[in-house]
Amino acid sequence: MADMPLVQMRGITKRFGGVTALQDVDLEAHAGEVLAIVGDNGAGKSTLIKILTGVYQPTEGEMFLDGEKISFSSHADAIERGIDAVYQTLALADHLDPAANMFLGNELTKSVAGITMLDNKRMRSETERVLMERLGVKLKSLDAPTESLSGGQRQAVAIARAVYHEGLRVLVMDEPTAALGPQETARTLKLIQTLKEQGLAVILISHSLDDVFEVSDRIHVQRRGQRVGVVKTSESNTQEVLGLIVGAEEAA
Amino acid sequence: MSDATTNRPMSERLEPYLAIIGPLVMILAVLLFMAVAEPARYFRATNLNLILLDAALYMPMAMAMTFVITQRGIDLSIGSIAALSSILMAFLIKQYGFSVYIAVPIAIMLGALMGLINGLIITRFNVPDLIGTLAMDLVYRGFALVIAKGLVLARFPDFLTEIGRGQIPSFIPIPVIIGIATMIAGYVLLTRSYFGRYTIAIGSNPEAAELTGISVNRHKVHAYVLCGACAALAGVMLTGKLNAIQATSAPYFNLHVIAAVVVGGTSLFGGRASMLGSFAGVLLLSMMINALVTLRIEFFWQSVASGVVIVSSVALYTWMQKKDRDGAGGWLAALTTPDGQKMFRFSAALLGVLIALLAVGALLAGDPNPSG
Repeated sequence: MADMPLVQMRGITKRFGGVTALQDVDLEAHAGEVLAIVGDNGAGKSTLIKILTGVYQPTEGEMFLDGEKISFSSHADAIERGIDAVYQTLALADHLDPAANMFLGNELTKSVAGITMLDNKRMRSETERVLMERLGVKLKSLDAPTESLSGGQRQAVAIARAVYHEGLRVLVMDEPTAALGPQETARTLKLIQTLKEQGLAVILISHSLDDVFEVSDRIHVQRRGQRVGVVKTSESNTQEVLGLIVGAEEAA
Repeated sequence: MSDATTNRPMSERLEPYLAIIGPLVMILAVLLFMAVAEPARYFRATNLNLILLDAALYMPMAMAMTFVITQRGIDLSIGSIAALSSILMAFLIKQYGFSVYIAVPIAIMLGALMGLINGLIITRFNVPDLIGTLAMDLVYRGFALVIAKGLVLARFPDFLTEIGRGQIPSFIPIPVIIGIATMIAGYVLLTRSYFGRYTIAIGSNPEAAELTGISVNRHKVHAYVLCGACAALAGVMLTGKLNAIQATSAPYFNLHVIAAVVVGGTSLFGGRASMLGSFAGVLLLSMMINALVTLRIEFFWQSVASGVVIVSSVALYTWMQKKDRDGAGGWLAALTTPDGQKMFRFSAALLGVLIALLAVGALLAGDPNPSG
């Protein structure tokens, strides 16, 4: 693993009115690694990644991408710089087919007699290609509306949307396995592994320590708006991480 | 990744076409019924022409309303927009000597402007679609009444009557061409344009649409502008068809158009659009109303029939869509559940009270005293 973190957040503080959601939090993620963020509800996990993905702006603190200082005024800025997120709700329009969803807000077009039209055919073939090449997923039908897909397949479509952006370097996944059965969970974890091998920095937020220990390289523990520890997954165990989450023991 | 969908059942393969099946079945039913009841007069060429002429009037509005409803909106002001913009057009032509070739585009732009006002009220002031357009319906209708008073403006230049009832010799009427052209344009817009794609996305999942960077409010406004412009076009067509216009014209546009769109399978809950269905819905309603006229049924039954068609087709559609029909146990099974019995007793009580009141009234009735 390279010494230089791909993405670095330093001294991040976020206040909402009088409430301090984050207090002086640091975060580093390297390329080709899975960093898990764990913590109780209200520990500031979501706020932290929303700052990273440009949805919120930090009250204090700075962020670096590849050593270069970055600041985002919107989520679109973050996507531009190669930081994207897959939300727990997946943000899919269920009535549209997978291809339309994958290109939602970023459609491919062609010009027919000088008029710009959506190129549905090319979006379909591109969807098929990205799903196969990047994620190793093949959907039975690309015509059916997305609502008819299984949870794992929907997840794959949402991830494909993020990875289609060639410049993607950091992918944040918020509770990707929360609504999935054991089989689908295993598949999603495999997807995460695949993305990691492709050199992405994957930041995984999860409540499931089993998943975290199976797939992550390092674990960042949040408690009450602060980072209470970062442990190497291979050198730690569930007991220790649980202890950090609930505050039974403090670690560096 | 998929192992569940190897052998998809019939119902699932039919699903994409469900929207169009409903109105088609109803159209077939009307056709069959009329073939038995009154074939000679219903299937005459002149009558079929009449049906198309009536349907053409609603096609532009049904097209635009499909977009509005797909975005989870509704526009209850199209009747008034049609009336007000054609009243203004009529005044421009009759009073101020405007050329009809300019007045017609002006009318359509005025409709678009009224649609823009609707859209801005809904998106900027966060007035719910239903309330906002209902209120603006009153406003536009009120302006039409203020401007036209009780006047009927009539006898317009040929260009206008051509739009409204012109006929290409031994072919179809001009308004039908206009109507079908707008439906085709709507179909292309829905399936091939950003606007159409985002319309479905917004109706399907507004939060997701927002997250992917779609400007939800702007596309909502666009839909209402389209709806206003199409309503004005329909107003122009109506003016031409009747060669006359007054402030109280087009009173039934709103519900007729919404009915056609909903019957066509576009979901009021958003996200599911069917342009073909809207086309079929418009045809169905026009065929049905024409059938009532052909059967010499009193005009006032039309609204009863329209309502029944709407309820039954939407109910049929939801029933066809239901995935799990097991364990429902037929129509009367619900009566055996505790809740069903409560509902049954409640309904029976209501009817009982009504019957009792009627009986008391009949017992105590004196001599009739006609109000006339």
